[in-house]
Amino acid sequence: MFQQVEYIYIDCSYVIIKVLNAKLDNTLTNNIEISVNSATCYKNNNIVLKNIDILLNNREVLLITGPNGCGKTTLIESICGIQNLESGYISLNKVNIQNQECNYLDNILYIGHKNGLNDDLTVLENLEYLCVFDSSADSQNTKQIRRSMEYFNISKYESYMASQLSEGNKRRVALARLFLTRKKIWLLDEPLNNLDEETTKVLIKLFARHQDNQGLIVLSSHFDLSKELNNVKSFKMENQSD
Amino acid sequence: MIKAIVKTELAIYFRNLNSIFLPLIFFFLILSVFPLILGTDKILLGKVIPGMIWITVILTTLLSSNNFFRDDFKNGIIEMYLTSDTSIELVLFFRIIACWIFTCLPVIIFIPLVSLLFEISFQNSAIILSTLILGTPILISIGIFGSALTLGLAKSNILTPVIIIPFYIPVLIFSASAIEAVSIGLPYTMQICILLALLVLVLPIMPYLLKYTLELSINN
Repeated sequence: MFQQVEYIYIDCSYVIIKVLNAKLDNTLTNNIEISVNSATCYKNNNIVLKNIDILLNNREVLLITGPNGCGKTTLIESICGIQNLESGYISLNKVNIQNQECNYLDNILYIGHKNGLNDDLTVLENLEYLCVFDSSADSQNTKQIRRSMEYFNISKYESYMASQLSEGNKRRVALARLFLTRKKIWLLDEPLNNLDEETTKVLIKLFARHQDNQGLIVLSSHFDLSKELNNVKSFKMENQSD
Repeated sequence: MIKAIVKTELAIYFRNLNSIFLPLIFFFLILSVFPLILGTDKILLGKVIPGMIWITVILTTLLSSNNFFRDDFKNGIIEMYLTSDTSIELVLFFRIIACWIFTCLPVIIFIPLVSLLFEISFQNSAIILSTLILGTPILISIGIFGSALTLGLAKSNILTPVIIIPFYIPVLIFSASAIEAVSIGLPYTMQICILLALLVLVLPIMPYLLKYTLELSINN
């Protein structure tokens, strides 16, 4: 009896260890192609996205611009898969992202207009916790996390609570994830909000580095990045009048 | 990964000692109100107090699980959960367990003291304790499920209890019947086994259900 229980226990723990150790075999290396195919989306019975087609390849930046309330956030949310579309689909390398085989989540990093920080944790703890949700970053690697804080010039706030920070500094902590991740597709919703000029420059440098690493960036902004970066595809959205 | 999750949960609860002590104080306040209303008739109190303890615990769990995801939603952590490539179910499981340890366990620990105060016999007190230990994790996970369900709504303070209290009923029926059985000297193993079965059923399913519910709530 006890032996049997022990066997079951060992089996279970083996499975758990296997699941936890499952490394990213599905990360993309070279070719990335994201396409949005005739995406239509309603929100509260209003049409927000209307037959949108976009094709993006690696080393490209998609800059989504447009007036407030035109659906920039909805478009980015639907590209990252948390907003369902009424019709149309989004595909990664010609595989629908809803498909299990696509392993889409292994390749994307999404930073919304909310920062994703926990108010009761310090900046360092927050970054460690954020790394838990990104299997390409190592949450135990404190040295790398400290480097990311230096990069965004927030080292002195290391032991501050996230609730004590200013909005700009919160944004910088959230963006420090970009330094830590090795994912190829970045989906950023107004990343330049609340940032000062210097940090904007640092961030643009990071974008350029990501492009050199075959990365792909989708971002919405009111700031014209086409002068600072190469391969910028602009996508202008307009308010849907109905 | 598990280490980081556990460390974070501990840090969050220990920095918010309010969230540990307030449910406990609430529990004692409500319990001390009952003798004021019902009078100090020992026979009457002896009959109703086990039920009263259960009702108070229900209110406590409602209080602590009602706004479980509110701050996370406000801060965008839910979106981060849903776009992450690690096992969110595991994180949610640990969060349910942490919520139980820090809000229900303190109350359960004080049950022997409450039994002394109300002169509940040892046997009754033991059965209250065991039904609470088996029942509260179920109540907490259902409460968290309700808070995930009403996440997208602006004003959901009363709505959540209205939705989830019907789901509490199976747990309440079997706990009450176990307490009743003990007080009139009948066997109570069946009720305890059913509670255990409910617990074993609910706990592993709940993280998956929560993930699905969060996806739906975010989609609005």
